[in-house]
Amino acid sequence: MILKPSRADVRIIAWAIGRVILGVGLIMLAPLFTSLVCSEWNVALDFLIGIAACVLFWLVTESTCRVERDLRWFHGLIVASAGWLTAIVFGAIPHYLSGHFKSFLDACFDLMSGYTTTGLFLLQDLDHCSHGLNMWRHLLTYAGGQGIIVIALTFLFAGTAGSFKIYVSEGKEEKLLPNVINTARAIWMISLSYLAVGSSLLWAALVREGMPAGRGFLHAVWLFMGAWSTGGFAPQSLNLLYYHSLTVELVTLVIFVIGSFNFALHYSVWTGDAKEIYRNVETRSFALTLMLSTFLLSLGLGKVGVFGSLMEFFRKGFYNLVSGHTTTGNSTIYSVSFYRDFGFLAMWAVILAMAVGASACSTGGGFKGLRMGILYRYFRGELRRLASPERAVVAEKIHHIRDIWLDDALVKGVFFVLLCYVITYFMGGMLGIAYGYEPSVAFFDAVSAGSNTGLSAGLTSPLMPAAGLSAGLTSPLMPAALKVYYIFAMWAGRLEFMSVIALLSFFGALARGRRGR
Amino acid sequence: MKRSTPHPILWLAALVLAAASFALSSVAARGAESQVTVQELVEKAQEYDGREVVVEGEVVGDVMMRGEEAWITVNDDPYSRRSLEEGGEFAGLSNYGIGVVLPRAEAEKVKVLGGYKHHGDRVRVRGIFHRADREHGGDTDIEGVSLEVVKPGYPIPHPFSYGKLAVALALSAAAAFLGSRLLKRRSAPAS
Repeated sequence: MILKPSRADVRIIAWAIGRVILGVGLIMLAPLFTSLVCSEWNVALDFLIGIAACVLFWLVTESTCRVERDLRWFHGLIVASAGWLTAIVFGAIPHYLSGHFKSFLDACFDLMSGYTTTGLFLLQDLDHCSHGLNMWRHLLTYAGGQGIIVIALTFLFAGTAGSFKIYVSEGKEEKLLPNVINTARAIWMISLSYLAVGSSLLWAALVREGMPAGRGFLHAVWLFMGAWSTGGFAPQSLNLLYYHSLTVELVTLVIFVIGSFNFALHYSVWTGDAKEIYRNVETRSFALTLMLSTFLLSLGLGKVGVFGSLMEFFRKGFYNLVSGHTTTGNSTIYSVSFYRDFGFLAMWAVILAMAVGASACSTGGGFKGLRMGILYRYFRGELRRLASPERAVVAEKIHHIRDIWLDDALVKGVFFVLLCYVITYFMGGMLGIAYGYEPSVAFFDAVSAGSNTGLSAGLTSPLMPAAGLSAGLTSPLMPAALKVYYIFAMWAGRLEFMSVIALLSFFGALARGRRGR
Repeated sequence: MKRSTPHPILWLAALVLAAASFALSSVAARGAESQVTVQELVEKAQEYDGREVVVEGEVVGDVMMRGEEAWITVNDDPYSRRSLEEGGEFAGLSNYGIGVVLPRAEAEKVKVLGGYKHHGDRVRVRGIFHRADREHGGDTDIEGVSLEVVKPGYPIPHPFSYGKLAVALALSAAAAFLGSRLLKRRSAPAS
């Protein structure tokens, strides 16, 4: 049971959140610069207001909440979960001021979707959006992919033990280097290096496909950010279908697959241990689940027969499946196609791939390959135990950077998180059904939100296909209760539940807990 | 006087002619162009697949020239008539658009592309709708035959918002005041 927090607890949490919000304000400098360069003066003012609000909040917390002590585990959990929620509210200011959102709730939805690298959006009239707003949309998903706490840690926190506690609370458990600040910086080094290479490749591809160099450059950077962070945002409403380009699809496919890998795996490869790619439980798990889901997809699409050739299967089937599996959400088809052209089996292949998701400590979401690997080894161990003599000692291990032996505590933890994901998916699906959506569509979008994927069968995106509801009942018109639930699902799924449970307990303890200390 | 009645063969010929003209007219209707919305095309893709259609809307984004052909995107949602940047009403959606692949000469007629600063040319495109275009990797698109600019595009005015400037200045002033106080407090020697 969590004891009633003292005033000092609340102050230190608020102080750390203030620093996270300052980080959000600093990120807004990039879209501010973009809008100034593009002479989008009113958009620049939107970002100036956003930055000023973030700085003001930071100054208030710095003036009133600074405490000379380090963060504890409990503080770290609350800072991560409440910090994300606060970052949503401040980040949504330029969104709302842009005039492309009907309500502040819609703007918050897009912010949560961006930070959690989900990619669902309720923004209206995307094709008339400014470059500044597009830069903000993509940058926040890129930053969210690394973790907004990681950003704050990189620049705004001293290297204390408390830093590690909030780092871990953001759903990242890997320490690439002994010091967590250096770990955060290593994550940034990896991401920025890929940004330079990936954007250049995409730029070349887009110019080759007939885009002007200037717009091509911006689109390349944005597409990279969307793909690498497994966010799936794109600057045009048709997403990847807009480009009609095999080359662009191939480059983004490679980017989001690499982006979905564990940062620890990246670091191992970077530091010379290339064999880790083949030995790591997550790459093996990803390869296996991808093969299984591709098999299901090919059965399903073969039955429907809309995409007849191998090329069509690759560009319309496989691309979207991998996009779902890596929890990216980039798409080369209309939302309705999942429902109308994929058929039941292929649609559920994508749903299952999204549910499994990407790697732990990556930009992706879902159950994660690491947990799938642990589960597989656990069940294999249980079967071996049943088949062995009573006195035999059966032990199972996985390889993830190093060999890890499975024990009860580890397996229990995996089961708990898995159960939380299943409940989140299930509740979202049932809520969608309760609002009258077709079950496959309701579960597709619920799993997409909970696993931070961003593909949509229409419930949260334009051209909504739900039977009989398609005329006019489009994304921003979805019921407010569903929007709120999806915001919760994206947030909880990204933070892998622990921080969220801690925050709820914190509020419970504030309301009625016993006073400690 | 006895009234002459038509020969039964004539009746039969008339019947055959009527049936044939009905069949021909239905075939012609199936092949003939019909103006449709993008939403209708995408939602009834199976029905429209391979048929000649006419779509009217705003060209947004880019004209991507690729050899002798070019790709454009035509939106026909409510924002293609009046975008949010022009003060249009919220329609509750992002955009409805479709990719159109055209002969280069047709695409060159497009002069203004829709975006933040411009409302794009309003065009009428005639072409064959493909649910999954075999030539283009299975894209849902229109293989355009001709393009006509119905209404030229125009710049969207964005009058400077002094209200936003005032809010930005007020917040910045408050931050500067608080920041200077904090700095003074930090630099003051501890009593």
